[in-house]
Amino acid sequence: MKRNRIFLGVLSGAVALGAASVFAHHSASMFDHAKTFTINGEVVELRWVNPHVSLSVKGAVKELPEDGTALWVMEMTSPGNLVRAGGWRRDAVKPGDQVEVLFSPLRDAERKGGALKKLTVAATGEVFTANIREQERPGLE
Amino acid sequence: MPFRFLVTFLLASGLTAPAHAQAQPKKAAIINPPPTAQDYAELGKLPDWSGVWNPNISDQDRQALTNPPPWNEKVAKEAEKMRAEEKAGRPKLIFYGCFPEAHPAWMLVTHNAMEILFTPGRVTMLGESDGNRLRRIYTDGRSHPDVPDPTFHGHSIGRWEGSTLVVDTVHIVPQAPLAISEAIGVPNDGDMHVSERIYLADKDVLHVDLEITAPKILTAPWKTTRIFFRQRARKYDIVEGVCQTGDYREALDENGHHTFVPIQRTEWGNILAPK
Repeated sequence: MKRNRIFLGVLSGAVALGAASVFAHHSASMFDHAKTFTINGEVVELRWVNPHVSLSVKGAVKELPEDGTALWVMEMTSPGNLVRAGGWRRDAVKPGDQVEVLFSPLRDAERKGGALKKLTVAATGEVFTANIREQERPGLE
Repeated sequence: MPFRFLVTFLLASGLTAPAHAQAQPKKAAIINPPPTAQDYAELGKLPDWSGVWNPNISDQDRQALTNPPPWNEKVAKEAEKMRAEEKAGRPKLIFYGCFPEAHPAWMLVTHNAMEILFTPGRVTMLGESDGNRLRRIYTDGRSHPDVPDPTFHGHSIGRWEGSTLVVDTVHIVPQAPLAISEAIGVPNDGDMHVSERIYLADKDVLHVDLEITAPKILTAPWKTTRIFFRQRARKYDIVEGVCQTGDYREALDENGHHTFVPIQRTEWGNILAPK
């Protein structure tokens, strides 16, 4: 628990700088959807909030071996859409879980962020995806 | 008598009020009558629009390419620039500030579900993901107000033509964007008028036919249709969404109370990821 608090402190320090700024629904073209990277690591935090859920993972990206272990933040769609399109739950993962995440990285290679495509929980093999258009397939219910 | 005391005396005595103002009868307030049992029974004759309605986003994408709005020359150039910027990974943040997507952009480009409620004299649309997505469509026969009070969703009046709800909306704030995606859209700049025909095109498919007049940015009325599909699983019920929570994180204040503190985002709206 203490370790997670430290990670949260690091995350807050990284992203909580500056004045309050409110945004909302945005395009996802700041991510390079032509690329798919894989990170294996430990869940630091799942932020189950609107309009975009985010997942922080500390681990190594297979395609970036020179980076070693680092903290990455993945963005997704809304909680409601994740439930319908990707089978997510608020407790799908918890801090400390070992996971594998497939993601499209930010085009800004200096920042460690991405758009999550697929998450696999190592302990259970459960898979969660994040493509909102998946809701459109017939017979989803 | 000093002048200010004279003024006070005249005001208090009503001697300064014009004669016609004193004679004018007080206008009776328009009362919304309490619904009757018959009013509620009549709702049962309307089509079944219950459940959760999701936008067909793939169709939105197609529509953006095959049936774009008739932008005027100036706005067409702006839209083209936005398209290029999005392609380059610098998408314009149209829906900034956690303001509502507003009408008609909500219908046109939303990525989130909605539900539709019928009550006597009114149809209400409630959107997921933002607590401020709410359309009140009055079906009690009223007219639009004479004096505009512009809002994000405008003033909507509707009537049923068989199983089709016909809606007319005016008085939308000029800042509300007319959007064809989350990165391409411009403020309507005023005088926008939206007509809709909303109906079940199939058992679980809702169509919204829109005709949008926006003289400040379009050269002609724009007709387009958006598609929503229904889900009924309880696990997909609409949940509360507060847009601002995405811009804050949970924390404890100096007294140990639970609170929210802001996080930082990029100009395009995504979280400013660590280096």
